Amino acid sequence: MDRMLYVAMAGAKQTLRAQGVAANNLANTGTTGFRADLESFMSVGVQGPGHGTRTYGVIRGHGVDTTPGALERTDNPLDVAVSGSGWFVVQTEDGSEAYTRSGAFQVDPSGILRTAEGLPVLGQGGPIAVPPYEQILIADDGTISVRPMGAGGAQLAQIDRLRLVDPDPGGLVKGPDGLVRTADGLAQPPSASVKVASGMLEASNVNAVQAMLRQLDLARQFEVQMKIMTAARDNDDAADRLLRNS
Amino acid sequence: MNPALWIAKTGLDAQQTRMGVISNNLANVNTTAFKRGRASFQDLMYQNLRQVGAQSSQNTQLPSGLNLGTGVRTVSTQKIFTQGNISQTGNSFDLAIDGRGFFQVLRPDGTQAYTRDGSFQINAEGRMVTNDGYELQPSIVLPPDAQSVTISQDGLVSAQLPGQAQASTIGAIQLADFANPAGLEPIGDNQFLESGASGAPQIGTPALTGLGGLIQGALETSNVNTVEEMVNMIETQRAYEMNSKAISTADQMLQTLNREL
Repeated sequence: MDRMLYVAMAGAKQTLRAQGVAANNLANTGTTGFRADLESFMSVGVQGPGHGTRTYGVIRGHGVDTTPGALERTDNPLDVAVSGSGWFVVQTEDGSEAYTRSGAFQVDPSGILRTAEGLPVLGQGGPIAVPPYEQILIADDGTISVRPMGAGGAQLAQIDRLRLVDPDPGGLVKGPDGLVRTADGLAQPPSASVKVASGMLEASNVNAVQAMLRQLDLARQFEVQMKIMTAARDNDDAADRLLRNS
Repeated sequence: MNPALWIAKTGLDAQQTRMGVISNNLANVNTTAFKRGRASFQDLMYQNLRQVGAQSSQNTQLPSGLNLGTGVRTVSTQKIFTQGNISQTGNSFDLAIDGRGFFQVLRPDGTQAYTRDGSFQINAEGRMVTNDGYELQPSIVLPPDAQSVTISQDGLVSAQLPGQAQASTIGAIQLADFANPAGLEPIGDNQFLESGASGAPQIGTPALTGLGGLIQGALETSNVNTVEEMVNMIETQRAYEMNSKAISTADQMLQTLNREL
């Protein structure tokens, strides 16, 4: 058999995976704080006997696109967006830290500040406990102050400050739960330079045009792989015919 | 099959849910004290095809991994409890809450429901009831010969009786508040039920301890912003189109596969 068939098959398979990445980005154009996944192809030489003429194209992840998304005003004081670079820190089910840009927070009945999916948002010393309040304010630097229930208008109590980090974008990977972590797993120190905006949500940073173009591009690439597979079949057919005639 | 087909399908589902929430908001633009909903989305789990940092040989590590996303899902439809506008009606049984709090209403099945819709009426027994005839709690019973009724900012209901110079107090309206109003369960009829996420109701006097004051002769309008909903609708429609485009592209790829091979 002609081994070019396998090279083309591997190419088609990897193209389908890349198509999945593009479709996932497109499906998440409406997800708050979503960061687009980046992918690219790398060449991996075929190991084994024979000349090193064959190279597989293999898709690899490139981490996440950290360009900021558009800010949408919601006027809900518990909606917070990071402006510029930086991340919120949340605690995952196993107690480890992960980063997110999705700032649609809620206060649960026991007063813990949580994300929309229910993970506790971390402050300077662990999860943030919010007392019953009449009004809540989140300042530019993440400082949370409340006007407690029943207190006068002038009494604002400062309760905690959101932990905001700004790790090197190159070292970030997305986990299976969609949360972002550092590749080396080391905890990041809080960064004072990260700014947040309250009453806003950050939209997904997927560039819809780019994602659609990528889809079309991959569809054509897939067709090329199909052509190569047909060519491989034609080659084999021709060889068959030659053998039959003799 | 092509993963893109299923991923784009989750995108269509999500946009459809969002469209449903938007049309519900728009349909209730004139509903008294309606609180608009918002669909929140979250990316579905990722398939880890190649672990970043795994050994690619004894001495080398993979510099980048491969995580394939599997689409999007609706994680919650959250109610946004911002204050609606106050519109004056002049009707003495119309009450608006200016600030936090809910009226307590007894449903016919005996459960306690909470509402911000203050368009009350009087039934045959003189009790204050909602438009559906459900009784306000604690109950307020008006004497049949009451001339006029005044409800103060802190909830005191007083009626002017014939032949008396002083108005007599006949009851007090109390409001309930929740630690997390967004966690209340909407059941329709402008009403909400307590849930595990909302916390227990804290009953109090209006205009005290953080609760809003009552405004007699006014109603709270819906807090739906029509312009915002229209813009959301455009965004949803375009996102829907893009996802269906992704499906047709994935379909074309499979067509090529069937045709060429």
